[in-house]
Amino acid sequence: MDVSMINTYLLMVTLAAMIVNFVLSLYGVFFKPHYIKKIIALSMLSDTANTIALYIGYRKWVNGTPPTIPVITNRSIEGIYDVVRRSVDPLPPALVLTAVVIGLATTLFLVYLGYVLYTHYKTLDMREIRRLKG
Amino acid sequence: MRAVEIVVLISIILGFALLLTLGYQYLVPADDIRALAKFYLLTTYFNPNYTYTAGATETVTAIVWDYRGLDTLFETTVFYIALAGCLILARGLYKEEKEASKPGSGLSVIVRGVTKITAPMIIVVGVSIALHGHLTPGGGFQGGATMAVLPLLIIVIFSLAPLIRRGFTPSRLAIIRGFALIGIGLVSIILALIGLVLGINAYVFQSLPKPDAPLGFPSEVEGALMGGILWFFNLFESIAVVAAFTIAFIAILLIESRG
Repeated sequence: MDVSMINTYLLMVTLAAMIVNFVLSLYGVFFKPHYIKKIIALSMLSDTANTIALYIGYRKWVNGTPPTIPVITNRSIEGIYDVVRRSVDPLPPALVLTAVVIGLATTLFLVYLGYVLYTHYKTLDMREIRRLKG
Repeated sequence: MRAVEIVVLISIILGFALLLTLGYQYLVPADDIRALAKFYLLTTYFNPNYTYTAGATETVTAIVWDYRGLDTLFETTVFYIALAGCLILARGLYKEEKEASKPGSGLSVIVRGVTKITAPMIIVVGVSIALHGHLTPGGGFQGGATMAVLPLLIIVIFSLAPLIRRGFTPSRLAIIRGFALIGIGLVSIILALIGLVLGINAYVFQSLPKPDAPLGFPSEVEGALMGGILWFFNLFESIAVVAAFTIAFIAILLIESRG
């Protein structure tokens, strides 16, 4: 068994763990009865999706050196070409940055919505709220 | 009800299988990055006269605020609208402000002393992350989120009273946030307005001078890289984010103190 197969196996372990995390958070969003637990599962879902997006932007090592962050430290032409040769994809971090802010805004709004639900029904259990019929 | 749940689960499984089918060649990292990523990395900081570039050494910030600037502007708007919706849902809480601000409540002397020592450090780190956003990893949102740790610490450790006593009421913070958002809007359209007045070709979200549009923000000041439009956006965005987080923390605490 050579080294590249072990590397691929470890990467696949990471990916499988992320997919299991994805499925568990979906289960929490759909089947957990409590509102706060639904919000926690939803934030887990968005974080897992962001991690998968960052994973897709990763690349293999170049000449035995790990890939670098997409920041130009040597401002000459050779430095820029070195960054282009060794950097990871800069587009997924930019998209994830937007997604994090939007996810934060929606989570904040859902928390306040839960506050209104609680003042109205005196409970956050979704089964109880469904039984009370609006 | 049970049938609906089974249909939802099956459609989730099939949709995930479709996603894996479309993206399977990216599951194992490739030897090289895509051509689009290479374009971004090459043109972020390329030639000495900065034509068609962002003039920044940090590619992610350049993508966020220059290449995809309008996207980030609307993202900030979404955050602002969500916060406005939260404050509307939590209305009627401001009457409780005086009651909630009882002095003398809080944690022990050790925790208070350590917080007083680390408070300036948190602010310095946050400002540094925000204003170096075009040079090092970071940016306006990250710096603002770092600085917003301090109001949270003050609320948890000293109670709400010191913040309110120093004038950081939610309404005043909302005004600060509004000014920061107006700053973001002005920076994004001011060159287009000047170009309209002077009759020169200029674009919305124009960062550096282009061959067909001679107006632009400075790329360097006294030898230090400014990144054109990025420095101003990072400054205003960090102010807006720290004000927004503080409003949210104060409002959540007011909900809690009301019971």
